[in-house]
Amino acid sequence: MSKIISLKDVNKTYTGVVPLHVLKGINLEIEKGELVSIMGASGSGKSTLLNILGILDNYDSGEYELDGQIIKNLSENKAAELRNRMIGFVFQSFNLINYKNAVENVALPLFYQGISRKKRNALAMEQLDRMGLADRAHHLPGELSGGQKQRVAIARALITNPSIILADEPTGALDSKTSKDVMQIMRNLNEEGMTIVIVTHDPGVGEQTNRIIRISDGVITA
Amino acid sequence: MRNPVFDIENWREIGATLARNKTRTFLTAFGIFWGTAMLAMLLGGAQGLEYVLRRNFDGFATNTGVMFPGNTSMAYKGYNKGRQWSMTTSDIDQIRRAVPEITALTTLNSYSSAVAYGRRHTSAQLQGVDSDYPQIYLPKMYEGRFINATDDASDRKVCVLGKTVSDNLFPGVSPLNKYVSVNGIYYKVVGVAGQTSEMTLNGRLEESVVIPSSTMRKSYNLGNSVGAVMFMVKNGVTPTDIKPRIIRILSNNHSLHPDDKQAIMYWDISEQFAMIDNLFMGISILALFVGVGSLLAGIIGIGNIMWVIVKERTQEIGVRRAIGAKPRDIIVQILSEGVVLTAIAGVAGICFAVIVLAIFEFITVGTTDMSVFQLSFSKAMGILITFLVLGTLAGVIPALKAMRIKPIEAMNDK
Repeated sequence: MSKIISLKDVNKTYTGVVPLHVLKGINLEIEKGELVSIMGASGSGKSTLLNILGILDNYDSGEYELDGQIIKNLSENKAAELRNRMIGFVFQSFNLINYKNAVENVALPLFYQGISRKKRNALAMEQLDRMGLADRAHHLPGELSGGQKQRVAIARALITNPSIILADEPTGALDSKTSKDVMQIMRNLNEEGMTIVIVTHDPGVGEQTNRIIRISDGVITA
Repeated sequence: MRNPVFDIENWREIGATLARNKTRTFLTAFGIFWGTAMLAMLLGGAQGLEYVLRRNFDGFATNTGVMFPGNTSMAYKGYNKGRQWSMTTSDIDQIRRAVPEITALTTLNSYSSAVAYGRRHTSAQLQGVDSDYPQIYLPKMYEGRFINATDDASDRKVCVLGKTVSDNLFPGVSPLNKYVSVNGIYYKVVGVAGQTSEMTLNGRLEESVVIPSSTMRKSYNLGNSVGAVMFMVKNGVTPTDIKPRIIRILSNNHSLHPDDKQAIMYWDISEQFAMIDNLFMGISILALFVGVGSLLAGIIGIGNIMWVIVKERTQEIGVRRAIGAKPRDIIVQILSEGVVLTAIAGVAGICFAVIVLAIFEFITVGTTDMSVFQLSFSKAMGILITFLVLGTLAGVIPALKAMRIKPIEAMNDK
């Protein structure tokens, strides 16, 4: 199996009145098709790691390679383009745009690729159908339940056919039943070959992944 | 490359954000609306006002002077104050000899009179003028000619009818070569005239009958008295320059106190011109101040709403950045909201100003031939473009701020 994520001695320090060394030499490899969870207490550096993996933040030293592409010192435009094409984000608070209906939310990443409205809405409908939400396509986020919102967010993450899905506490805002449903979706996607990285502090979620990476005080412990 | 103008989603997004806080959008739009309307009304109004005032001087030689006798206000040489006196033709001859700077001069006498033709009659102001008159105060000729030098020299009984008088006495037919009676004396009509200037001396020309002054003095026993004098001086000299010499002649001839300001009414039109010029300089500066002020207020309003929009949408902007919006996409989105708001409110403001100007014109100018309280299309476009450019610039700072938002921080911003 080929590596999709490879971090070599990645360091990150937040400058400030008191400089904070958050990541202290992270070495990490994730194979294509893995379902991995990153676990750690709050302040352990797991969010920073996720931001670096998601090209939302820079790192100071080391090397990060995503699907054969070295991610370092990218311009804002290049970073935006890579995020758009290679990474699908799923967030704890869904982060849907509340004045756009489900189809429009799902289609949004394609909007930034310059795909015509007709085509991107058709592709978005396919993804919603895959999530079993075809009948909710024209509802606004406010009219959907938490589980439905998260499934819309997953559809949005999938629409650009990314190299990996990065999920930040995807079940954090859901009740136990819907959490289970969402994790089931994640596992199904993984079985179809999607590489998924879930950041969580919930051991129940971690258990459902194939590998748990524990991070503590800026270093990987297991 | 995606063109934001042709993507309906962009327009829907703009509409959705502007509609989200209707009160705020309305108030900002009103600020811009009022700014453009103010600026448009000031520009159009100043132009109209200037036209109305300048029209008074149309057809008037700019270096014209007018004088007529007033009652004395100072006792002199045994005469009491409050005396009436009258200018004479010999004064005029003397002035013309002594003051060669005067290039054209007409005496003016007037007389309220009854004019008749056949069974039709009307009242009119009878005016006696010299042949120099049209050089100084251009009449608008509807038919025929004005009084000429030969008429004047040979005391011809000819007259020029005012347009209104002519219409009353000769409805639908030409009065030329007909004889009209003015207080019982018959004159041959040689022309029909009106006035070019809005400034009226001795009654409107339209409501007058003009005859040679020599004829008038003889026909109506005026002797050699002259009611008023209107004259023009050569270029490079103003009527005020020659005033002391004229005053001295008249004071000597009529025993007027040399310092009596009221005995001789002396009016220099070039001074009026200069005054109007100054007035308009003042009005322009005022308009500029008020206009720039309202412009700034409107622009600050746009900047403010853009700032609030960016603040409110921090999370949304973060999400968009995370899923692949480039900085340019975000800036275009924020700016286009400001531009749309400015464009709509600006057009509305200009329309409002045009309506107000039209009402103003209807009230002040009435139904005369020309519309003057107007905003030229180029000025309207100028105002709109100024607002659009400044409105866009006002949106730039909030847009740049939006661009600096880190996606992660933005999404955690609840």
